[in-house]
Amino acid sequence: MRWLLLLALLPYPARAQFTLYACMVTSKGYVVGAKLPPSGIFFKTPAGEWRHAGFNHPFINALDYDPRDPSVLYVAAGNGLIRVSGGGERWRILTGSDVTELQDVAVDPNSGDIYFTHTQGIRVSRDGGATWSDASAGLHSKYTQAIRVDRRRKGVLIAGNEEGIFRSENGGQSWKLAGAAGYQVLHVEQSTHDACFWMAGTQGGGLFTSTDCGATFESSGDLGVGRNVADIAFDPTAQKRVAVAGWGIGIAVSDDGGKTWEERNAGLPSTRVWSVAFDPTHPGRMYASVHEEALYISQDYGHTWRKDGLEGSRVWRMRFVPEVKR
Amino acid sequence: MKRLAGLTLIACAALHAATPDFAGRVRFTIDAYAHPKSTAPLGYANIAAKLKLHEDPALCSRRLEELLAAGPTGDMFWMFPVTAIAYLDQGQLTESARGALSRAWRTYMPYRGDTENHWLLYYTSMYLMAQLWPDRAGAEWFNGKSSRENREEAESWINGWVKLTTTRGQGEYDSPHYMGLYLLSMSYLAEWAHDPAMKKRAGMMLDYLIADYAAESLDGVFVGAHSRVYDHPALEKWNNVSSDFGWVWFGQGYPMSPPDNYVLFYTVASAYQPPEVLRLIATDRDRPYTHYERKRTRNRWRFFDDLHGPVYKTTYMRREYAVSSDQGGTLQPIQEHSWDVTWHVPDPRGVENTLFTLHPYSSLHELQTYFTFPPDQGIAEVVSSKKSYDSPDKFVGGSPYEEIFQNEDTVIVLYDIPEGTRFPHINGFFSKDLAEVREDPSGWIFARGGDALIACHPLQPYTWKPIEGGGRRLFSPYLRNGMVVQVAARSEFPDMDAFRRAILGLKLEYRLSPAPHVRMVSLRGRTLEFTYGETPRVNGVALDYAHWPLFGGPFVRADVDSERLEMRHGNLRRTLDFHTLTVADSPLR
Repeated sequence: MRWLLLLALLPYPARAQFTLYACMVTSKGYVVGAKLPPSGIFFKTPAGEWRHAGFNHPFINALDYDPRDPSVLYVAAGNGLIRVSGGGERWRILTGSDVTELQDVAVDPNSGDIYFTHTQGIRVSRDGGATWSDASAGLHSKYTQAIRVDRRRKGVLIAGNEEGIFRSENGGQSWKLAGAAGYQVLHVEQSTHDACFWMAGTQGGGLFTSTDCGATFESSGDLGVGRNVADIAFDPTAQKRVAVAGWGIGIAVSDDGGKTWEERNAGLPSTRVWSVAFDPTHPGRMYASVHEEALYISQDYGHTWRKDGLEGSRVWRMRFVPEVKR
Repeated sequence: MKRLAGLTLIACAALHAATPDFAGRVRFTIDAYAHPKSTAPLGYANIAAKLKLHEDPALCSRRLEELLAAGPTGDMFWMFPVTAIAYLDQGQLTESARGALSRAWRTYMPYRGDTENHWLLYYTSMYLMAQLWPDRAGAEWFNGKSSRENREEAESWINGWVKLTTTRGQGEYDSPHYMGLYLLSMSYLAEWAHDPAMKKRAGMMLDYLIADYAAESLDGVFVGAHSRVYDHPALEKWNNVSSDFGWVWFGQGYPMSPPDNYVLFYTVASAYQPPEVLRLIATDRDRPYTHYERKRTRNRWRFFDDLHGPVYKTTYMRREYAVSSDQGGTLQPIQEHSWDVTWHVPDPRGVENTLFTLHPYSSLHELQTYFTFPPDQGIAEVVSSKKSYDSPDKFVGGSPYEEIFQNEDTVIVLYDIPEGTRFPHINGFFSKDLAEVREDPSGWIFARGGDALIACHPLQPYTWKPIEGGGRRLFSPYLRNGMVVQVAARSEFPDMDAFRRAILGLKLEYRLSPAPHVRMVSLRGRTLEFTYGETPRVNGVALDYAHWPLFGGPFVRADVDSERLEMRHGNLRRTLDFHTLTVADSPLR
């Protein structure tokens, strides 16, 4: 129980080593019907190479893991929710024909409950993926893009759909509008340092932030207004540092918790960026996915960038997963 | 002139006489793939055809291994050919080839796709392969599920699709291209499913799907409206997969050269021959008739409360031409074809025998309704495979600013395009194959397509723009707009001028503000009234959309939610009951 509490308080285990996973599709030059270039899940080896894990797949949107067993990944895919184990090589689709084109996945670190969003709402499994039930009761619009679990409290969820940001305190049995009303929400993220600080990115409406544990979200400045904020990343190594990615935005970094922003695109071939991530074990190291160009790496908080691999790709989501010592 | 007509008749008769019987047409289709003219290496379709004929098993085995070694591609479009090969094998393939095929179902993960035909192909293939290998553990399948799990999931989805189709209609309805995928899937299950219920259900669905086509085919040409059609085949209407099927089933028209592989896979499985009642429905155009259908939209993930909306189709059919429409709007995200006039020609190959208008609409909102694309890539994603989607001069696609009303062979199309809309104009397709085109000072445009006399009245000024390959595009850059179309048969008038006089004698009133409105008396004597945004009226009575039948007309009848379909012609009647899985052939007295 004590270690569980510790897990709940910390976003990442202390002094853990991590593997960076990328959910991606190699789409540059690809035409429908042609052979799909290597796509799906890639991970970065200790030697710095990108390696393809498991099946070639065109529609892998996001992944998450249960901190109690990070050797198992839960992957939101076009074909359903996929359990990936065996170092990425063993895949099992845990869902059936009742869900499609999954958008996001989040595992509740307090319970192991698995939540995912899909075209018709939110589903939850409370038995490791054996059975699923709907967790979107009360949401008028079902299409849900984003979901996160409050790491401090079991069953407290923040989700984003086409009508705004919604919060549930009971594992998705009921929901309450928390902000960004009328906007399609593309991403939500909880700060790695302050569990009561949340940020959400929208289609056209810019950023929204919450300082009351996700109860309410307020519009947060002009960044991303009129554009689409695709990803948000909090820096695990610096309390106030946060980055966002988006088309026309590129990468913007804030060192004051989102009060002010600086666009940091020097060295990126364009500002069409899908995702951004901070390396939890190397302060200053960031990754950015530039549309159909490559994944880029920065060692100085985004002031300069260089190509890191995955050429021609769109990386929808990056996730640092603790390495499993056996 | 008489001599020319006589020669034409003789030529047509000779062609008709040359049409082989059903077995011969099936054999022709399989031969086209078993013995291709091309010297290219065999593909999956060629292998399937050869195995069907029990020819060249060693070559088939070798080539199959080569294809699989190169890596499967195409997801569900890979699944259905290799499923057929697995069933057509029957001991012909080498153990090595069979092993390679088996391994591929573990090592290649096909994407299930996002479209009705994708899912039917995926689950039909999964059902049959799980049946073929009934005892495999999850580790032997790409998805980690056991054979039993895969079969149960597939069976559940297929049964759900049948129920939805027989109660609310298809979502990807009446597509002259994609219809082939539904037909081949049902052909597979009717031939290869072991479960008697699945086999029966699939066989009944073949009747159902063929009936859906038969009532709306004009000598082998599938007339509009369509859920999905490609750009050029929307104009050259013969140039569709539907022509292969029309020819194989009923000997009508001409197959493509070579036939598309959809019909090949239909023929290597059940090669189901439709019953006589369907042949008569497809071929009898002695009397004009109006046929109604209700379908549904594609899955609307966003912006709507209901997953599917209704589609109301009307098709007027006679020997010389057909007029067909839906109610307008964006019923599909791409490739929608909402209305047209199609006229009969003895040989439609290379002929653009159609006329229609549309508002060339494209928007992220439309795509996000139906797709899950991220916002910045939506349109680009579609344009990568459907090139015309974002083109101002396109000839396929629905628009939320188009409303259509059809009564018999009269169509009134109204447009009310908001300011600021991308492409604020309408396009009209006027074929190179129209004859006697005349722009009358009255505002009517008269033309003849085959034996169809066509009168069109644009409600706003227009100009003509040339179309590459021939024909003209009517371009009318006005937000409030419309087109009134009245068609008649050449046999109804002594000449074009008589038709013109009859049209000019019709009472036609219209206005464009505050909303487009037309009130007219049709050539058939009906008073038609249509205001944009309001329910159309015939002789003062509003159309009853609430009671629109799933199928309605002299030949095919079904009520919404009934799971039943009745086909009738003369004294023949066949009734399908999907609730009881029974087929009743009960002659009419």
